[in-house]
Amino acid sequence: MTFEDTDFRQETLDLDNPFDVKLVKDFLFSLGFEFEPSEVECTMIVYNLKGELVGTGSHLGRILKYVAVAPKFRDTTAFALIVTYMTEKLLKIYKHTFVFTRPENAVRFRGLGFTEIASAKPLYSLLEFGFESIFTYQDYLKTLQVQVKTKAVASMVVNCNPFTNGHKFLIEKAAAENEVVYLFVVQEDLSVFPFKVRWELIRKGIAHLKNVVMVSGGMYIVSGAIFPSYFLKNETVSDVMQKQAELDVQIFANYIVPILGITKRYVGTEHYCKTTEAYNLAMKTILPDYGVEVIEVTRKASGTGVNSLPDYISASKVRKAIKNDQLEKLVGFLPDSTREFLFSDASLDIRMKIKAGQGRH
Amino acid sequence: MKPKIAAQSGTFESSDVIILIEPLPDHSGRKLEISSTVMQQFGESFKRIVVDMLDQFELTDIHLIAKDKGALEPTIKARLETAIKRSLGEQEGTM
Repeated sequence: MTFEDTDFRQETLDLDNPFDVKLVKDFLFSLGFEFEPSEVECTMIVYNLKGELVGTGSHLGRILKYVAVAPKFRDTTAFALIVTYMTEKLLKIYKHTFVFTRPENAVRFRGLGFTEIASAKPLYSLLEFGFESIFTYQDYLKTLQVQVKTKAVASMVVNCNPFTNGHKFLIEKAAAENEVVYLFVVQEDLSVFPFKVRWELIRKGIAHLKNVVMVSGGMYIVSGAIFPSYFLKNETVSDVMQKQAELDVQIFANYIVPILGITKRYVGTEHYCKTTEAYNLAMKTILPDYGVEVIEVTRKASGTGVNSLPDYISASKVRKAIKNDQLEKLVGFLPDSTREFLFSDASLDIRMKIKAGQGRH
Repeated sequence: MKPKIAAQSGTFESSDVIILIEPLPDHSGRKLEISSTVMQQFGESFKRIVVDMLDQFELTDIHLIAKDKGALEPTIKARLETAIKRSLGEQEGTM
């Protein structure tokens, strides 16, 4: 039994200071983590009066990361102390916090009041804590719910970075085949086109489709970019990606499908992006068990490209064209709303950003 | 009165309780979410303590979350009072 609490001191580290970084890096390395300062915003440590390092915790945005306690101090309250410190700080800014951990450690966070929302065994569990929860998101979904007579309720998740004729085609097809279509737009602003812009371009582009309901993705649709790959160094990247996708699809199946009565999910076939491919695979494995049919639609092509193969429409090609100043060649890819936006001054900042080579892909 | 800012008190430890408070829009009343490891035995008395304390401070338009791990009544009251005072901006957090 160690003496605790009154002996423990907490301190926030200065991540610009190489000595501070080395301190936490060495400590975490001994516990099997590889600390990457660029993956966190703030790091705190707990030490005792003998100067021994007891534990540490970090966060990036609303996600807790690198929470670890030295084995010697695991019978103390150090873990609770670290997590309380982090949540207190984060809940002043955000409505809730998330933590990714290994399923075997999920119980420790549950013991601290966290709620487990999904688990992709054996790699991840996702837990949350705060003023809002997935039930708050479900309440939002309930406000959008449309009364239907048939079971033809489709769903689709799009990022639309930016909105292209490919997306438009897919949405139009789903709208024609179903009574109602819930169109989830990824809310996280990790794409070069911000959420507001993406939302507006889609809204204008599909205004003629009366049975499409636009839904903002909140924190629960494709949070894939939060990729907590650091504590999984023994796994391959593709394994991690696959499990991440499973986690997202499970949340969709367990919390979103039943609220809206979704029976179909439309996806475009994927030729360009490994992440999307992993998602499509996860959907095909998981969703049928929840009564949701996965419908893969071959991408729309705009004429033929190299080697006489169909020239598939894709948002990444549009971004590439912007980067290379060749957008005129791709006008066939763009619906009116996106074309007007991209050829106007309103998109100047975004185009400059793409040219500077920032953003995904 | 209504809370000014979001506030937290207590810890996630055994024999303690963690209290979270956030302001709600005007006229939305009180929203209480109380969970406890000893809910079955002491749930009612826990709720009464919370409501009494909120009445005492005349607080409405408040969202309060309490996650209890078997705290005793004085502890609960102390944590509640601290969270309330922090949310009213009357007291600073020490952590």
